[in-house]
Amino acid sequence: MSLWVDQFRPRTLDSLHYHHGLSARLKSLASSGDFPHILFYGPSGAGKKTRITCTLRELFGPGVEKLKIDQRIFLSPSKRKLEINIVQSNFHIEITPSDAGNYDRVVIQELLKEIAQTQQVDLNAKQRFKAVVINEADSLSRDAQAALRRTMEKYMSNMRIILCANSTSKLIAPIKSRCLLMRVAAPNPQEMEEVLNYVAKRAPFTLPPEAAKKIIDDSGGNLRKAILVLEALKMQSPDLSGPLAIAKPDWETYCYKVADLIVSEQSPARVMEVRAKFYELLSHCIPPTVILKTVAERVVEKVDESLKADIMHWAAFYEVRMRLGSKKIYHLEAWVVKVMSLYKHFFYDMDMSSFD
Amino acid sequence: MPFVPNGLLGSTSTLTKSDDSVSGSQTELFVPNGLLGTSTSNLLGANVNSEEAVEEVRDRFIANGLLSGSINTERDAPNAFVPNGLLSTPQENNSSSAPPTSQEDDYLPSVVEAFGVPVGLSTTSTASTSSGSSSRYSIHATTFDGKTIQLKRKVKAPRTARNNVLNMSSASKMGNLLDVPIHRLLDQLSVAKASELQERDRHSATAVTSREVVEDTLWVDRYRPQKFTELMGNERIARETMAWVKQWDWCVFGSKKGKKRPTSGDENYNEKDEYHRPREKILLISGPPGLGKTTLAHVIARQAGYEAMEINASDARSGSIVDDRIRPALESGSAVGSTKPVLLIIDEIDGATGAGDNSNTFVQKLVSLTQDQPRKKRQKGPQEKRPILRPIICICNDQNASSLAKLRPHALHIRFQRPADIHTVKRLRKVCELEGLEADSRALTTLVGVAKGDLRGCLNTLQFIKSRNQEVTESVVRNATVGMKEADTSLTAVLNDLFNPLPKKRLKELGLSEEEEGKYVARLSREIDASGRESSIALGCFGHYATLRQHDANFLRHEKANEWLVTFDILSASMYSNGDFALSPYLPYTLVPFYPLFQERGGERVERNQADWENLQVTRSNEEILKSLSRCLRSASSKLCGDFRHLLSTPVIQLEFVPLINRIISPPLRPVNSQVIRPEEKALLTRLVNIMASLELRFLQERAEDGQLSYRLDPPIDVFVTYDGKRAADIAVSRYAVRHLVAGEIDALLIARDADVVEKGKRGKHDFFGKTTASRKFEETAELANDLVGRASKRPRTDNIDIADRPPTDFFGRVISVPSAGSTKAAARKNVEKKFRVTYRFTEGNSAAVRRPVKVAAFL
Repeated sequence: MSLWVDQFRPRTLDSLHYHHGLSARLKSLASSGDFPHILFYGPSGAGKKTRITCTLRELFGPGVEKLKIDQRIFLSPSKRKLEINIVQSNFHIEITPSDAGNYDRVVIQELLKEIAQTQQVDLNAKQRFKAVVINEADSLSRDAQAALRRTMEKYMSNMRIILCANSTSKLIAPIKSRCLLMRVAAPNPQEMEEVLNYVAKRAPFTLPPEAAKKIIDDSGGNLRKAILVLEALKMQSPDLSGPLAIAKPDWETYCYKVADLIVSEQSPARVMEVRAKFYELLSHCIPPTVILKTVAERVVEKVDESLKADIMHWAAFYEVRMRLGSKKIYHLEAWVVKVMSLYKHFFYDMDMSSFD
Repeated sequence: MPFVPNGLLGSTSTLTKSDDSVSGSQTELFVPNGLLGTSTSNLLGANVNSEEAVEEVRDRFIANGLLSGSINTERDAPNAFVPNGLLSTPQENNSSSAPPTSQEDDYLPSVVEAFGVPVGLSTTSTASTSSGSSSRYSIHATTFDGKTIQLKRKVKAPRTARNNVLNMSSASKMGNLLDVPIHRLLDQLSVAKASELQERDRHSATAVTSREVVEDTLWVDRYRPQKFTELMGNERIARETMAWVKQWDWCVFGSKKGKKRPTSGDENYNEKDEYHRPREKILLISGPPGLGKTTLAHVIARQAGYEAMEINASDARSGSIVDDRIRPALESGSAVGSTKPVLLIIDEIDGATGAGDNSNTFVQKLVSLTQDQPRKKRQKGPQEKRPILRPIICICNDQNASSLAKLRPHALHIRFQRPADIHTVKRLRKVCELEGLEADSRALTTLVGVAKGDLRGCLNTLQFIKSRNQEVTESVVRNATVGMKEADTSLTAVLNDLFNPLPKKRLKELGLSEEEEGKYVARLSREIDASGRESSIALGCFGHYATLRQHDANFLRHEKANEWLVTFDILSASMYSNGDFALSPYLPYTLVPFYPLFQERGGERVERNQADWENLQVTRSNEEILKSLSRCLRSASSKLCGDFRHLLSTPVIQLEFVPLINRIISPPLRPVNSQVIRPEEKALLTRLVNIMASLELRFLQERAEDGQLSYRLDPPIDVFVTYDGKRAADIAVSRYAVRHLVAGEIDALLIARDADVVEKGKRGKHDFFGKTTASRKFEETAELANDLVGRASKRPRTDNIDIADRPPTDFFGRVISVPSAGSTKAAARKNVEKKFRVTYRFTEGNSAAVRRPVKVAAFL
């Protein structure tokens, strides 16, 4: 049995709950017979992938839901084996090239060429082309993106590419210009509430509006997270009565603790404490950029107005450095020390001004 | 002759030391300074003669002038006398630097070439120039007792003839325009000039020019201890080593050598060993370089009557060497062509392969060689290996080297320490006396201090000094040891130097002034570079700087330090990822700033920082867990038409899915009978079991060390909600009984599902094995839980731990272990018994057997 996230995932464009304008456009695109390459982008949990599957279904009919999942093995230039998981139906194929790390170019080149060079054999198929869904397109390397450029034009007759990314900033301009850009915005609270109520109705149980509100507030526009939280809530307190504790991911709570530590005291000893906490977070496979972002946001909430801009500036600064470097903990700590220093300076200045 | 004294050229393997001092010094004394005189033809004769091996020794003895009494009888007397310069008027002849080369040419051919003077040519030229001057027919000589004797000059017709022939031939070749071709003349001139300059040098340097000795042995070798009593340094270490080697006597030589019983204090004695070997069959000597570890091992081996067989870094040291060379040598017991038993010395073992879990490394094989023998012996296997009955001594610099990790538990350690400087100085002074080198003890102390007690380094330095001047003064020592400073580059040493200023004592040893001490950049960067482990040093700095108790009001220094660390990281990252190794010279400089920022006199010693390494280990294992979870998800998604695949992407799975799935699978269930459970709880349970089954999450039963049973989640994704060793507060700790219940249900569901798959084709035939088992299972587990609750209510609450948290125990408090897999079968069997009162034994066997319905009557 699947989780609610999957169980109540809309299957068709018509059953989508929000962004009806977008759905209508996708529908007309799918029926026009001239389907372009599309780049879906938007925040995590906004429904990009749901929309993609719905669009595919609109294009090809229910046949796309017959999925096969298998592994393909590619050889990297240095003869290392790369295992890539592929989800495919008769009409489309889904890949996540970033699984191959630095060798995603190989995957893109080999796989796309292979697909592009075979024509649709099913005469009853609605479309003459196959669709390739590329997940996490924003983590494609430059090489892989460059490899994609030409393929997109050359094999237009046989293949359409649907890219799915969180932001377009890491995609090279040539790719963006070859695609129809579709922004899938995060749902607003009303839309989310609607969805949660729909889930509750199907489950079935009645969701108290205050619980729904709490979940929505916490999820930050991430519908997937909201539904997972709802399910966790329902499992943990089945009757949904009494005071409800909305589950927060543990790493988030832990990041908040770190932020509190930074704000409450600034000393070398505290730096060591914070470092231990960072190590703990990193060892739980939390991406360092996420740690930095979460902690920074929390710190910003707590400090004086005049410091906020600076703290965010330095967080951004050290995030870039972190991407350049390899030892993430150095950069996290550098940011912490910077913040502490800013904070101390701020207080010294306050003291000075009060003496005047 | 600048090439000679440093002893780098030539080998004198055939000459012993005493021999050397006679032959070397005496024969060559006369040569360079051109004291010879009367005729160069004589000199030539001497030279030519001395080339003839047979007469060489006699020549030299005569040259000494000690045999003066019997000179007349000697055939070569005139030749012999000329060299010691007692006879005749010395004739200044600067061109005579050629003969020494010709004399030495049998063992120093390269030098001759270096001089650029062909041997034949030089002889001919000197012969031709001096042939006229040698017109006297006899020589007057005075012996030691004052008698005057006359020596008749031999006629050297044949030789001159030969020389003439040579001369002729060379002349004819050159076309008779010049006696000697112009380029050779130029060569000669330059040689003459060079030797003239040299001469001047020699005169100015020291008065004793004649003490120019051809040194072809290193002092280190010359003064290497040969006997146990000559060993220098810590006597206790030598004794311990000797004691260990002596413990082998019983095994190797068969007798106890006067030792009736092993003394009680001898804890290394191994009663059980049938060969009376010591318990630790390997001796590991460790210590800094140059203190005489290798020498100690060799001396002790010889002293104890062994033939040392050495394997050092110059040999290949892979695992196969152990089998190919070491084992045969040790098994046969003695080296080829020797009657003495062999003692294996493995030098520089820390450079051998051995790190890692590979069992084929050198160290691993060595350990198994010594350890596995008794077992192999008992096995009497087909290729029965003979036991190793010979001692093994391993020598290393760093006993904590990772490659030695496997060896350490099996070896007896002896640590070499730097002996007190005074001993080293004493030994050095002795050497200096023997070599005629004037040394003041202050200079020697300085030398020992700079070298950090490294005796080999000291001796080499002294020899080097000797080759230039005759005196050892402090300034000379300073000049000679410029490159020797800070050769110690272990990781902790470098870190300590980064965070602590040089100790005053060390400053004095190095002779640095205050001002020079201030110039730390070159010193530290060189040190960091030499260690070659920049990233470890960076980690060490990172680990240490924040622990320092220095006042830093506004974090200025901390900020700077971090700035440097970040710079270091970016540099090294781009170096490694882009292969841009041209950056590597700059890396040390990014770490040097820690010195001005954080140096502190008398600060704590920097210890190795393990935090990062531990974190890395944890991260790795957690990544594995994540991987196995994503495998589970993938298989679930292939079963459920791609349902879970959207949760699989990397940031989503650890940020959203893992924390929440942990909450989803831990509902607040009560450990009660699943029959009496309330309907809403029942629904909860079913949903939980379904989710867990589809994700292939299991509760596995495990027995802890104290015998307590517990259920563990597999894959253990609950680590992701456990921070700082504490589980998240909002996740109820799942109790044993609940987990037991859930585990049972999951098993039942899976069995049912498998049965469904199997029976799909022929439904209805074998329901007995399919679903009914599952339902029985429910009853059984429910019964158990029921039982438990009943008992829990009866028992007074003595402790605050809920009884349900514990595994079920029987009346006596013993844990009842119910293997969950077998329980279904047991339940089925029990039922059958009740109904039919038939006794038969159902043995669970290979399910490949054909199952068919059988009437009960068949069993009666």
